[in-house]
Amino acid sequence: MTRIIEVIVSPTGETKLETKGFTGNSCREASRLIEQALGTRASEQLTPEFYQQQTSQQAAQEGQS
Amino acid sequence: MSHIVRIETHVRDLQALTAACSRLQLRVPTLGTVKLFSSEVTGYSVQLNGWNYPVVFDLTVGRVAYDNFGGRWGEETQFQRLLQAYAVEKAKLEARKQGHTVSEQPLSDGAIKLTIQVAGGVA
Repeated sequence: MTRIIEVIVSPTGETKLETKGFTGNSCREASRLIEQALGTRASEQLTPEFYQQQTSQQAAQEGQS
Repeated sequence: MSHIVRIETHVRDLQALTAACSRLQLRVPTLGTVKLFSSEVTGYSVQLNGWNYPVVFDLTVGRVAYDNFGGRWGEETQFQRLLQAYAVEKAKLEARKQGHTVSEQPLSDGAIKLTIQVAGGVA
C-alpha cells in the first residue's frame, strides 16, 4: 500500500497532518521531520490502523498457544 | 489513516519565507531593525499589502511582531495568507529534502492540500 502524508493548511495558516497507509508506529517517524519543520504539535489523534500491527502480533501468539 | 496531528506554525526558515513572499508577489524579506507603532524590533521584515507597518519575523525563535491596531492598519487576512503560504512552502521543502514526491491542490474552502508520497517502497 502506498504511504502518504497529507498536509492541509487552512486559510488562517493552521496545519493538519494526516498519515495514510502506515501501520504501527511507523507513521509517527515518517511525519516527525515535517512536523518539527513546521512548528509545534498542538494535538495528536491515533487511528485504528496505528494499533493494527500490535493486534496482528497478539492474534499470531494466541494461535500458537 | 494512521494518525492525525495538528500543528501550530512557527516561521523559522528564511528560504521558505522568501518563497512564500514570492508566491504572494510580495517583496523579499529584509533583515534589519524597524520601528513599529509601539516598539522597535529586529528581524526579517515583510511588507504586506495595505499594512501601515511591516510584519517582522525573528527566525531564531519563530516569533513574529506586528502592529495592525486590530485590523485598522492592515487586514488580518493578509497576514494569515502569508502564514498559509509559509507552511505550504516549508512542508514542500522538507518533503523534497527527504526525497519524497509532493503535489499541491487548492481546496474549495480556501485551504491548500499537499499530498506527500513517501519514498522507500510499500508498507
